[in-house]
Amino acid sequence: MNAQFIVDGLIAGSMIGLGAIGVTLTYAILRFANFAHGEFIAWGAYLALAVVAAVPFGMVPIGPFSFGWMLPIAAIAAALLTGGLAILIDWLLFASFRRRGSATIIMVIASFGASLALRSLLEFVFTSKPVYFTRELQIAMPLGGGLRATPDQLLMLGVTAILVIAVHLLLTRTAIGRQMRAVSENPVLARLAGVDVRRVIRTVWCLGGALAAGAGVMAGLLVQIRPYMGFDLLLPLFAAAILGGIGSVPGAILGGLLVGLCEALAVQTVGAEWRAAVGFVILTLVLLLRPQGILGKAAT
Amino acid sequence: MSVAEASPALAVEALVAGYEPDLPIVKGIDASIGQGDFVAILGPNGAGKSTFVKAIAGLVPIHAGAVTLAGRPITGLAAHLLVRAGLAFVPQTENIFASLTIDENLKLCAGVMPAGKRSERIAAMYDLFPDLAARPTTPAGALSGGQRQMLATARALLVEPTVIILDEPSAGLSPKLVGEVFETLARVNALGVTIVLVEQNVRAALGVARTAMVLADGRIVHRGPAKGLAEDPRLGEMFLGHHAAAGETA
Repeated sequence: MNAQFIVDGLIAGSMIGLGAIGVTLTYAILRFANFAHGEFIAWGAYLALAVVAAVPFGMVPIGPFSFGWMLPIAAIAAALLTGGLAILIDWLLFASFRRRGSATIIMVIASFGASLALRSLLEFVFTSKPVYFTRELQIAMPLGGGLRATPDQLLMLGVTAILVIAVHLLLTRTAIGRQMRAVSENPVLARLAGVDVRRVIRTVWCLGGALAAGAGVMAGLLVQIRPYMGFDLLLPLFAAAILGGIGSVPGAILGGLLVGLCEALAVQTVGAEWRAAVGFVILTLVLLLRPQGILGKAAT
Repeated sequence: MSVAEASPALAVEALVAGYEPDLPIVKGIDASIGQGDFVAILGPNGAGKSTFVKAIAGLVPIHAGAVTLAGRPITGLAAHLLVRAGLAFVPQTENIFASLTIDENLKLCAGVMPAGKRSERIAAMYDLFPDLAARPTTPAGALSGGQRQMLATARALLVEPTVIILDEPSAGLSPKLVGEVFETLARVNALGVTIVLVEQNVRAALGVARTAMVLADGRIVHRGPAKGLAEDPRLGEMFLGHHAAAGETA
C-alpha cells in the first residue's frame, strides 16, 4: 500500500470538512438537512472565477504557487457573495416556511428544489464545461516517507487549519458564537435571554455559505470547476457532519478528514469507481453504530 | 414623579391569549401589579397560569387586550425585545443553557446590557450567588437542581429587570431546595425587583408572596393579600373549581 493516500485524503478531507461545517451549523440551528449546501460550494468557485476573469491582472504566480494575488482577493469576495446568496435563499424560501411552522420534510424538499435551481442557473450562465483558475503546472514536492504534495495543496491544508481554528474561536470566545450555541440548544430560551434569533440565523447562513465558498475555491484550484462539483460532494459532506457529530465544528472537520482518508484509501485499494460509495458506507455505519457521531452528544 | 414610577410595574387589560385564536386559554384577565410587589399566581392544573405569563413574556400569541410594563405598552413585543424593555421570564423547565458554562450563561444574558455595565452586572450576580461564583467554568448541565434554579434566577436578574416572572421554580426540587429557592426570591424582591411567581406549591408560594391571584378556567377568581389565604377555606373551593361560590374578592 502506498502512503500517498494520506496526503490525498487529507486534502480531499479539508474540502469536505469546510463544507461540512456549514451543514452541521445549519442543521444544529435550523433543524433540517440543507441539501442545497453543496451548491454554495459550486457558486463560491464560480463567483471567485468571475472575479478573477473580470480583472485582467493579478494572476501571475506568486513564488511556488500556481496563482497570483488576485485569487485570494477573489476568494474573499466569493466568500462574502456566497454568504449573501445563502442569506438570500433563506429569506426567499426557508424563512417563509419557518414563519408558517412547516414540517421539517417540507424544508428538506424545498432545499432539493433550491439545489436544482442554483445548479441549473450555474449551468445556464457558465455552461457545464469544466474550467480552471489557472493552467500553471505544479510539480509535487517530496515530503518524506514517500509522500508528495504540491505547494498549492500544502497551502490549502494550512488555510483549512486557520479557518477551522477561526470558526472554533468564533463559537467559543465571541458573543455571536455564544448566541449561536445557545440558539442551537434552546431557541425559545435564547429569545428569553435577549438573543435576536433571526440575526443568529442570518449569521449561520452567511458563515456556512462563506466556508462553502472557501471549499469551492480550493476544489477549483486543486481539481476543476464544474456546476456539479458541489452536488458530487453532498454525500461526503453529510457523512462528515454526521460522523463528527451534528453541531460540532471540530467534529465536522475531523469527520471530513476521515471521509477524505477513507475515500483515498478506497481509490488505492478497490478502485476509483468505488470512491463515491465510501461516503454512503460511512454514513450507514455511523448511523447504525454511533448515531451521535464522534464528538456529538447522545440525545437524552 | 415620572410616569414609570407612578405606573404599576406590570398591568394587563382584558387579556385574551392562547395558541389558537379560536381556542383562548386566557379569557379576559385584568391585573395590575405594583412596583416592588411579590405576586403568587395560583390555581388548579389547566387554569391557564402558565399560558397567562407566557403570553406576557411574548411566547404565546395575544389575541386581544393590552400589556404595559412600567407604563410602556409591550403588547405583542418579541420575547428578545421584552428582555431589553425590562421583563425577565424564567421558564419552568430547561431554563439554563446546559451546554454553556455558568459564566457563558451569564455573559449571554449580559449581551442586552450596555457594554460598560456587563462585567459589573456579572460580578454582582456572583456576589448574590456565591455558589455560582465558586465554579464559573462548570458546564451548567452539571449543576444540581437548586443550583440550576439559582443560575436561572441570576440570568433573569442580571439584566436589571423591572419585573421577573418565574414559572414554577419549585418543580422537581426537594423540599429543602424549594425553601432555598424561595428564600433567594425573597432576597431578590427585597432589592426592589417586582416578582410574579406561578406556583403549584401553594403553601410555599404564599409563604413568600405579598399578593395572591387565583386563576381558574383562564380567569382571575380571587386576588388579595397572600397572608392568611393558605388557611382560608375558600382556597380549596377555588382549586376544586367552585369559584362561583368564592366569588371575585379583589
